[in-house]
Amino acid sequence: MDELEKLYQTTYGAVVRFLYRKVWDADRAEDLAQEVFMRLFQHRPEKPRAWVFAVAANLARDEARAAIRRRKHLTLMTNDPGQAPSRIAAADEVVEHDEQMAAVQDALGTLTRRDQEVLLLWDAGLSYPEIAQQTGLAIGAVGTTLARARRRLVDAYDRQHSDDSRGHAAHS
Amino acid sequence: MIHGAMRHIPEDELHAYLDQALSRSQCVEIESHLANCPGCRRERDSIAALRDRTTALLATLAPPRRIVPSYELLSERAARRSARIAGRWRAGAWAASLLLAVGLGWGARSMDSGEQPAPAVAADLRSVTPGPATNAASDSTAAPVATDDAPGIELATRETAARETAERGDPARGNATRALEAPTTPVVSAPAARFQIPDQFPATDQLREPILAEPAGAVLSSGGRLPSESFSGSAGALFRTVSWDRARIERGESVPRIEGLPVMEVQLAGSRGGDSRPLMVVAQQLESGQVIRTIEGPATDVNQLLASQRGDTSSPWPTMNDGDGIAGGDGTMAVRRGDRILAITAPLPSDSLRAMIRRLNASER
Repeated sequence: MDELEKLYQTTYGAVVRFLYRKVWDADRAEDLAQEVFMRLFQHRPEKPRAWVFAVAANLARDEARAAIRRRKHLTLMTNDPGQAPSRIAAADEVVEHDEQMAAVQDALGTLTRRDQEVLLLWDAGLSYPEIAQQTGLAIGAVGTTLARARRRLVDAYDRQHSDDSRGHAAHS
Repeated sequence: MIHGAMRHIPEDELHAYLDQALSRSQCVEIESHLANCPGCRRERDSIAALRDRTTALLATLAPPRRIVPSYELLSERAARRSARIAGRWRAGAWAASLLLAVGLGWGARSMDSGEQPAPAVAADLRSVTPGPATNAASDSTAAPVATDDAPGIELATRETAARETAERGDPARGNATRALEAPTTPVVSAPAARFQIPDQFPATDQLREPILAEPAGAVLSSGGRLPSESFSGSAGALFRTVSWDRARIERGESVPRIEGLPVMEVQLAGSRGGDSRPLMVVAQQLESGQVIRTIEGPATDVNQLLASQRGDTSSPWPTMNDGDGIAGGDGTMAVRRGDRILAITAPLPSDSLRAMIRRLNASER
């Protein structure tokens, strides 16, 4: 199997996830991921894995700018038939899943752009040197950034959760 | 890193350790510290839990699983795209080299035959050539003559007016025209004017009259490179030209042209049929120095213009009998678009022109 093909098979899903967490639109994330890999096959760069995520990040940024220009806010999981769960789940399970997803998205939104980027790149499977290269951070700073990003994400999520719990308690 | 047994492991290093981002020696150092430090072990466990939670939270932010498109499909699409891009480059390089060869051939031929450039050539040469010629040019082009007396034509120049007067037999003006005809700069080459654009687009009833023509590519034989899209800044130095902005206003849309080539001149002729988009001729410079002209306008106007250049007004041109609506030959190619025609004239073989017009037609739509 060609090296690029191997990379495609192992990384495509991560690239879609990475893009999805930036554009919040499953179809668009797929489209952009395919664009990324088509460019990869055309350019065949030296360090393909890091290259793929760098291009993905750039495309996502362009997408965000375009979205701002259009003043069109893409919201999480709204009316997207493609978002249907793969199995038939009880309605309350689906609602719960969607609520949790929205909560995590909100929590992620409280992070700085840099922290988000590093966290998402790490989660996409990039190494510290690859993250450093893409973000311009020193390798030593990647650990610091990740430490802060993880803590903030979890703290923000927990805070939101406890707020929600208090809200529910107050209503009941 | 840890200096001495008493110093605890910094948080970021524990993250890096758990992320397997440290060297083997760093790991050994950390592990030996952890073996003797219950506080750091607790910290490590807490960071490991934080790390797991982060991963779990992020895992909820995933789009639904879908089938991964086949590698073959994507790589094939990428290959097709690469081929398209390479094709453009090849066509460009091929056209450029061909133009060079053709230009040299024609240049040599015209020098052999002592071919005199048309008046417009001399004037254009002055307008683009620095040195003494500039004075002559500024003298004659400082005040472009508005064409209120020539309905349908945007701008005319003093030269044009003089030349027209000469055609009518005015001796005084005729002398002036002859003076203009004498090139003030050496004419290196004046390529064969197979497809000549008249100074002014003729009215239908004037088509039987001889049309003053400018050999395609002659302007560039001076070697002068015009700054792209700087039409209005030179105070009429480029006569018979409408400004870029004016051209766009008149057209109310993008000006038809070949992307990536410097625009030398935009000629505009109002449509006689009341069409909101007038006939437009955009002259651009190829890398070889030759001129390529993009003509777009009402079908009858363009047909007449092109037919007049062939010196044959009897038969309609182009016949548009091609499957894709593209017709023409070496030197010119056109495509019909409803009641309008888009055409290119350049000293290029029909294959190149056909490819160019097809691309232009697609991008213009």
